[in-house]
Amino acid sequence: MSEPEPAPVRVVIVEDHALLREGLLALLTENGIDVVATAEDGPGLLRIVAGHKPDLAICDVRLPPTFTDEGIKAALEARRRLPSLALLVLSQYVEPAYSGELLASGESGVGYLLKERVSEVRTFVDAVRRVAAGGTALDREVVGSLMRERHSSGAGGSSPLDTLTVRERETLELIAQGKTNAAVARELVVTLGAVEKHISNIFQKLDLPATDGDHRRVLAVLTYLRATGG
Amino acid sequence: MSERRSTISRALTIGTVALAPPFVSLGLLLLFIWALTAGGGYFWPMWPYWALVVITALRAIHVWDHSRPDERRRPFDALLGYGAVWSLGLIAIWGMSGGHYFWPVWPMLGFLILLGTPWIWGRSRTNRKLEVRVDELTRTRAGAVDVQASELRRIERDLHDGAQARLVALSMQLGRAEDRLAGKGADAGDVELVRQARLEATAAITELRDLARGISPPVLADRGLEAAVQSLADRSGMHVSVNAEIDHRPPPAVENAAYFVVAEALTNAAKHSPGAPVRITVWLEHSELGIVVADDGLGGADPGGSGLIGLRQRVEALDGWLEVRSPAGEGTTVRAILPCQ
Repeated sequence: MSEPEPAPVRVVIVEDHALLREGLLALLTENGIDVVATAEDGPGLLRIVAGHKPDLAICDVRLPPTFTDEGIKAALEARRRLPSLALLVLSQYVEPAYSGELLASGESGVGYLLKERVSEVRTFVDAVRRVAAGGTALDREVVGSLMRERHSSGAGGSSPLDTLTVRERETLELIAQGKTNAAVARELVVTLGAVEKHISNIFQKLDLPATDGDHRRVLAVLTYLRATGG
Repeated sequence: MSERRSTISRALTIGTVALAPPFVSLGLLLLFIWALTAGGGYFWPMWPYWALVVITALRAIHVWDHSRPDERRRPFDALLGYGAVWSLGLIAIWGMSGGHYFWPVWPMLGFLILLGTPWIWGRSRTNRKLEVRVDELTRTRAGAVDVQASELRRIERDLHDGAQARLVALSMQLGRAEDRLAGKGADAGDVELVRQARLEATAAITELRDLARGISPPVLADRGLEAAVQSLADRSGMHVSVNAEIDHRPPPAVENAAYFVVAEALTNAAKHSPGAPVRITVWLEHSELGIVVADDGLGGADPGGSGLIGLRQRVEALDGWLEVRSPAGEGTTVRAILPCQ
């Protein structure tokens, strides 16, 4: 509601579980998002993408026939055919490898969230809009595990992450999840100015190049977190 | 061995003690008669003495044989005992009759053949039976372990598609209800009640997810061992290098065991050597899956710890082999080999 409303976001839902598919459809429709079609499997997604050219595909990971990672494969294939397609993958468990594959797949918006995040309606709808607009939405579990890893790995030589203050670390986590400055400010209950100050400190301490655009910023942070791990 | 010896000596004692008073009196009587009649000539009482000794020995063997708990060996051992008494008796006769040509060798040889043939035959029959049984047990156990692994994956999938999916749907509906109530400006208490319900549902989803991961990690079923090990490394919170060479997927039971070996080894490394780099190597060669998890930490992990014991049982159930080396100050290395038939 707070967003100025341009053209409505056009979405396709791929989910084999009828209860979840219908629930998601109702939830998005209620919130002014245009669900152009739904599918139950990968081939269904590819047909819809060819026909409707949607802005965003919301995809379950496990789909028929093998119920393993068809959702990821189908989503990546759909984006190969339609590079402007934003992807939001929903999963019942967090797998860092999947988020890595999604982020590496192109420039358009990417999201990877645990399924139960749909129950936080406002936050979820924000994430849908953000991803459709080319932004990023990474589940806090994914970011959390990356942060834990980088932070604790510095027992021998200390990691630059250790030089961050608690507030800066919290800010970094929220940025890595793809949140905008305004959203970070809201969540941490600080002013926009304070968030900008934290961010410039973080980029300086971690020696990251200054970037414009939220998506590029997320990528820079995530690349940093992954590179310091291996 | 010492227990066996004490059983024998006890049996001999009992067998002999019962016979002692009459035999000793008889012996003394014979000696007395010999002294009166022959006046020290040919010592004929040695022949009745021989008979008395043999009777005592046979009696002792009988008592000993029946005093033992293992009934299956009784007939065989009794035969062996009686044979020994018989042979010694013959040697005594040979000695008492003046030596010369050692004729007892023939009856002794005959006895050996008599005893040896059924022994060898029984032995080979037992061995054949054992071989068949071992084959059968190996096959049925492998079958049971495979069935168990596939069952665990099925349970994980059922949880995923059933209870977990329903809970997600439930939490989504609660979320929508909460959103609508808040949008309509409903009573704050009502909104809070729905919010609490939604949080409970979300907590249940988290618990189910952890449970499912403990039963059978989804990434293992979905993407195989290499991806699952990489995932463990990614979420371990340590510097982990993974070197995996697996060109096809081993059976589910082997994949599961290998996954839990790596998981437990990483947990141990995090506990004993936080911050130390860890190297994981996994390879599949000659239908054997090998795993090495090594760190350069402090060492000193207890190979008798409950985690490692559970791991060893898991590996041994697959006829595998697990070794934990953790000398203080030299880091810890966990090695496992799992056959994949």
